[in-house]
Amino acid sequence: MEKLTFEFKTSQPITAPVHVGVVASGDLEVILKPITTNQTTVAVVTGSDGFKTVWGNVLNRFFDRYPISAAIEINDFGATPGVVNLRLTQAMEALA
Amino acid sequence: MKDSFVELRARERALALLDAGTARELVGPFDNLISPHLEPQGIVPESDDGVVLMRGQLNGQAALVVAIEGAFQGGGIGEVSGAKIVAALEQALADNKAGKTIYPILVLDTGGVRLQEANYGLLSISEIQNTVVALKQYVPVIGVIPGRVGSFGGMSITAATLSYLITTKKARVGLNGPEVIEQEAGVREFDSSDKDLIWNTLGTTQRAATGIVDEVVTDDIATIKAAVSAAVAERKDSHRTDKADFYLSLLDQLDLDQPLDTQTYRDLYQHVQITKHTIPAAVSGDNPGTKSRGRLWFEALTGIKNAESSVPTVLHADKGGKAFIAITADEHNRFPRVRHGEVGLQEGFSVATIVNDIVAADADKATKRPIVLIVDVPSQAYGYKEELIGIHMSLAAAAVAEAKARQAGHPLIAVAAGDAVSGGFLAFGLQSNRLVVLDDDSITIQAMSKASAARITQRTIAELEAATEHVPAMAYDVKNYQKLGAMYQFVEGIDAWQADDQSVAKLAGIIDDAIASTVDQPTDLHFRYETDIAKASGRVATRRVRQAVADQWAN
Repeated sequence: MEKLTFEFKTSQPITAPVHVGVVASGDLEVILKPITTNQTTVAVVTGSDGFKTVWGNVLNRFFDRYPISAAIEINDFGATPGVVNLRLTQAMEALA
Repeated sequence: MKDSFVELRARERALALLDAGTARELVGPFDNLISPHLEPQGIVPESDDGVVLMRGQLNGQAALVVAIEGAFQGGGIGEVSGAKIVAALEQALADNKAGKTIYPILVLDTGGVRLQEANYGLLSISEIQNTVVALKQYVPVIGVIPGRVGSFGGMSITAATLSYLITTKKARVGLNGPEVIEQEAGVREFDSSDKDLIWNTLGTTQRAATGIVDEVVTDDIATIKAAVSAAVAERKDSHRTDKADFYLSLLDQLDLDQPLDTQTYRDLYQHVQITKHTIPAAVSGDNPGTKSRGRLWFEALTGIKNAESSVPTVLHADKGGKAFIAITADEHNRFPRVRHGEVGLQEGFSVATIVNDIVAADADKATKRPIVLIVDVPSQAYGYKEELIGIHMSLAAAAVAEAKARQAGHPLIAVAAGDAVSGGFLAFGLQSNRLVVLDDDSITIQAMSKASAARITQRTIAELEAATEHVPAMAYDVKNYQKLGAMYQFVEGIDAWQADDQSVAKLAGIIDDAIASTVDQPTDLHFRYETDIAKASGRVATRRVRQAVADQWAN
């Protein structure tokens, strides 16, 4: 298990909390909570150690597209980058 | 598959059962109540700890859905997830008592105790069972076992306590998983790689034919909701845990020298000649019986030398106005899987019979006889026949009888003079409102043997032992067990194998103190949340969860 933290300068505040996903094998859960600043933090707890660069890449790409301001928690049980991206996108759909 | 209920996650399952637009989740993912015990072991937690509590309406009537997420850690019950279930069911109980009818529905998808929080799981599961027993005086408690994990371990015992069980063909129900039986009793007892054997034995078709589940429906959301609605509306109750006479009669008619397959068992099940069973009090005999700590202390506390009983493994007798019961080893028992003192089919149903008879005899008395359980149970019995017949039903019968006795006002005192392990402990000890434990390193208190727990959680025994340093609930010894705060008293200075006069007098005095401490006190299991140790460290997460559920229940 590894804990990773990422920070992003963002511009689009969210208004309601969102939860998607399950900490099942090959899956993850994503929690978004509203914040009052534009300093977004992503706290990742992952069961697969050694993937910090990959997480950074996936999240960079996501925030390039959706610069939401939120406190984000991710609990990951070995999801692939594709599944991570899918859950993040689902969270965006739930916001809409 | 379109409209599959099985393929939904726990939260979606809860939403699917409740009327659209009426659901409100309690203590959910945003409440930050995660398990404090997983991260120290390097395990990723989940924000709801794998249990979803959802209030809402079912066909316009108030309902509480408790849905366990089977995909997270096998749906295992830990401290937080267990406390969520107990707290919500207790709120539902309080509402029902106050005349506000609310129907509890449990969606079970669970392997039982979460082995990474072992002893917390056992404590929580006994507390769930206690609350189910109390709730059933007011409302049916309906269970749904949709499938994927099914319902196993201590939660299969809970399933047996529910009023009515609705399942699909995708579910299995049993106490010990096939891998654990293979680990404990050998591959010839149960081959865990034989999928057909597993499904034919534990699958719901066989289970529905033999009284373990009530209904098998198509895996379809509307069908399952309709089945749940009908069960609630008709207040269905199969009285699964009131069948001790039936099962003791069945066991009398069971030929243990012959192999038992699913069809042979169905035939036996359908042709049982039911006779009334009573278990006479133990008497003094000529043979010393198989040596065990349970027998030693039963004989010492009752004064019956070489105690003998019509059920060789179950001893009971009254002494000084108290009823003593022990489950003991019997090296020549006709059931090979109980010879070391394990709780098997006959033991659970016999204890249930004894306790029910005590409650009936004292029904009109203002002061109820205290019941003292001398606990020395190395585990439940691991065997193929046990699973086929449904050993979890036997353990449930005992646990329910004990819970009913306590709720009726009988002080229920458990004395761990020997091992207190797993389903054996759930059936015989964990329903007590006061637990006394001897401080003796020979005593094990746990959910599963190290070999099996390592196999199931895919860790080495060394890793398992390392985890106990961070999480006392993972440990196997009494000193770590004390840290959970569940004990009434931890008795120092008595060797569990030495019942000398001084030790017997000391323990007898402690039992009397424990009984006295129950006078005018609640008959539930809250004592374990209120000890100094529980408040300071042992049940901190439990207490936080209970507060959060209470805060969110009404609003």
